[in-house]
Amino acid sequence: MSTAEDLADVERVLAGDIASFEGIVRRWQGPLVNMAYRFCNDRGRAEEMAQEAFLRVYRSLASWRRDAAFSTWLFAVAANLYRSELKRIPAQNVALDEIAELMDKRSHHAEYEIEDRDRVVRRAVLALPAKYRDAVVLYYFHEMDVPAASKSLGLPEGTVKARLFRGREILRSKLAQLLEAPKLKEA
Amino acid sequence: MEDELDRMLAKRDEIIPSSGFVASVMDAVHREAAASEPTPFPPLAFPWLRALPIFIALAAVGAMLIALFLHATRMPASATQGPLLPPAVMHALAQVNAGWIAAALALAFFSTFFSLRIAVGKR
Repeated sequence: MSTAEDLADVERVLAGDIASFEGIVRRWQGPLVNMAYRFCNDRGRAEEMAQEAFLRVYRSLASWRRDAAFSTWLFAVAANLYRSELKRIPAQNVALDEIAELMDKRSHHAEYEIEDRDRVVRRAVLALPAKYRDAVVLYYFHEMDVPAASKSLGLPEGTVKARLFRGREILRSKLAQLLEAPKLKEA
Repeated sequence: MEDELDRMLAKRDEIIPSSGFVASVMDAVHREAAASEPTPFPPLAFPWLRALPIFIALAAVGAMLIALFLHATRMPASATQGPLLPPAVMHALAQVNAGWIAAALALAFFSTFFSLRIAVGKR
């Protein structure tokens, strides 16, 4: 991703050339849609949320202070919107306590598909309390980069680390059976 | 266990936005831009009817001042040396500290006048 290209496009948009915003959309559509997908686990809704995020970015383009990277600001705007959207309309999801039942049902199958297992984990993440969910989602979206996640959340790194720790503790307790499965298979 | 959890959480298939996504966003952006463009407002008509009582009052005050001025110029010089107002009125004004009230009113008028000028100048 080119910072110079972003800066040039932002300058052009602010000068009144709206069409230049397309460059920003083209460059960042993948990350923004994928971040939204991590929050809602629904492809259609992810695109709707990402579109709304781009609109918000367009509206508040003038407020981007050049001391932060464009991507950092963009992710913070998007993450903020996605969190608000999920507060407004929560993702279709099972309750955290039902995750164990989901695994029990799956364990009846002879072949324990890895894909199924990952899907259960994703559902468990989205079933976490919002503050832990946001930290976990953004930490893994930013490829396990705490500073990047904290910038997207607008929280101190220490707070993000604490929430991440607590979120993973909850996941570990709820997914204990699932996490043991590969070891049992190997044994 | 932690590594396994990390691996599971980090693993995520990337989704590719649909082909019409960029066009859809740009349509929304153009709509947004069109909606936020300032629409020219028709010029506001001056509220003559509401201002009429003020104009009448101003005209009355003006006429009174002119009449007073003319009256004062026609009077002999010795008559104009005395106080302009009757002694009872002068006494009442002194009782209520009319000088201070006048000074406060003048201060309020000038501060309002200058703040309005600054506000209109910045627009």
